[in-house]
Amino acid sequence: MADATLTWPKNYNEVPKAAFTRSDLYLEEIKRIFHGPEWHPVAHESELPNPGDFRTIRLAGIPLLISRDEGGEVRVFYNACSHRSNQLETAVMGNKTEFECPYHRWLFSAKGELVGCPNPREFVPGFDKADYPLGQPRFDLFYGLIFVTFSAETEPLDQFLGEAGETLRELMAGDGRLKLLGYQKVRYDSNWKGYNDNDGYHAPLLHAAFKMLNWQGGKGRQYTATKRGHVCFESALSVASGPSVLKDKDLIAFKGQDPSVGSRIVQLFPTFVSTKHLDVINLRFATPIDAETTEVHYAYFAHQNDDADMLRHRLRQSSNLLGPCGLISMEDASIFHRIHIGSHTPGNAIFQKGVRDPAKLESEFSQNDESGNLPRWEYYRSVMGFERAQA
Amino acid sequence: MMLSPTKLECALDRLLLADANALDSKDMTGWLTNYAEEEQASYYCRAAENTEHNLELGFMFDDCRARLEDRVTYVTEIWAGTFQDYRTRHFVQRVSHRQVDASTAEAMSNFSVFMTPMDTGVTQILAAGRYLDMVRLSGDGRAKFLSRRAELDTSVLPRYLVYPI
Repeated sequence: MADATLTWPKNYNEVPKAAFTRSDLYLEEIKRIFHGPEWHPVAHESELPNPGDFRTIRLAGIPLLISRDEGGEVRVFYNACSHRSNQLETAVMGNKTEFECPYHRWLFSAKGELVGCPNPREFVPGFDKADYPLGQPRFDLFYGLIFVTFSAETEPLDQFLGEAGETLRELMAGDGRLKLLGYQKVRYDSNWKGYNDNDGYHAPLLHAAFKMLNWQGGKGRQYTATKRGHVCFESALSVASGPSVLKDKDLIAFKGQDPSVGSRIVQLFPTFVSTKHLDVINLRFATPIDAETTEVHYAYFAHQNDDADMLRHRLRQSSNLLGPCGLISMEDASIFHRIHIGSHTPGNAIFQKGVRDPAKLESEFSQNDESGNLPRWEYYRSVMGFERAQA
Repeated sequence: MMLSPTKLECALDRLLLADANALDSKDMTGWLTNYAEEEQASYYCRAAENTEHNLELGFMFDDCRARLEDRVTYVTEIWAGTFQDYRTRHFVQRVSHRQVDASTAEAMSNFSVFMTPMDTGVTQILAAGRYLDMVRLSGDGRAKFLSRRAELDTSVLPRYLVYPI
């Protein structure tokens, strides 16, 4: 079968809508991007704080087991027995120092070693347990954020992050010493790129809450990092002033450090979005389910040094402010769906705000510009091998 | 005074059905009137998966009367006109209850909620789970929620939530 092709418009601010909807392109994206030379955040190590803690997830279909061994070391494995690839662990999270496959009772340590299997004398002559540890993808940690890649070609993680790494570190409370508060998980009826194009990006006209809270945003910087077009925002955030429609003002109170940059967002190619907004620290782990569906796990965090009052404040703010039912973000979720429906029409989506010259790509933007997404689209186009039409 | 078993069951079921009716009618003011007029009146909506791992974070965390009142404002004013509207139908079945003292009872009920988006017209299941209710009983045999926890078996929602479950 010939590679999936798509002719790309000549202008950098135009994206063919077919990119959001064609299932043949989706299969190619899985191969070239999700199973290709990219790093994907899968969890923060504070989600498994104690020896023996583990989590399981599926990333673009691939089942992963993330575990912390008795000595405290975190590792990522394929969640499949090294014998016949039976799914090893079925719980989403828990605490175990050994994992037993029920099919033929192969037993693995939290380090991934095969420590026991019944009746090995009946196996292939010369069978050695040491040859059958759990398989592992490449993984690396950045201030506790665990990344995996399924390609040997992917450059080192710090190169992948580039300048975005510094903003990401600051977003994770500066030192990555986080404490898990819990999850909001949801599936959106949206192609993963539709989700990624519209989460993170600021659409102030969409959010009535901003206006009602007299909260039109402060001065901010938006920039893109590396050839992948990771998008970073750093914004001052004035706390809402004037009469508020809210009776519980704590929802939008700012009690933490760092008032000069109240809001930070780091969006990494292909699907990861993270934000620190007021006192909410939120890492969003997203994976495509199919061409029309994206699953997002919103994980919320406090800092390990928080006192009981701050912990309580973060819990109350995190639950109600952002996410799929959040005061200032529920509308985003609706836009993911509606963009996806609307993309089943002919032609191109045309970006406008902040585009000074459609024939040029830039890397510095104003806070509410749409054009911050364009370097990422150019990288996507090049990875997918789509030819840009001649000017 | 402890209520007779029949009167208690009647009071609890009237409250359960009044809440389902208010939600399915998108009557947020009616929804609020099912909660006790006490400062600590609360509503939580959370994946049971979080609760089982001692993670308190929820989809909705309205831990005081002021937040319940704000929830009405979110739906009727702040979000109006920004989302794809959907109908819901709540099916609620009380599975256990007990009277704690003269003015308090607790009840556990199963729920399932069907959702029909207005634009597609295709009915799906929005969520299934349990309500864990602490109920305030008044002298006239009426009941109001002091605390309601919607614990969702559905740890991955099929859609964003506008209305409480």
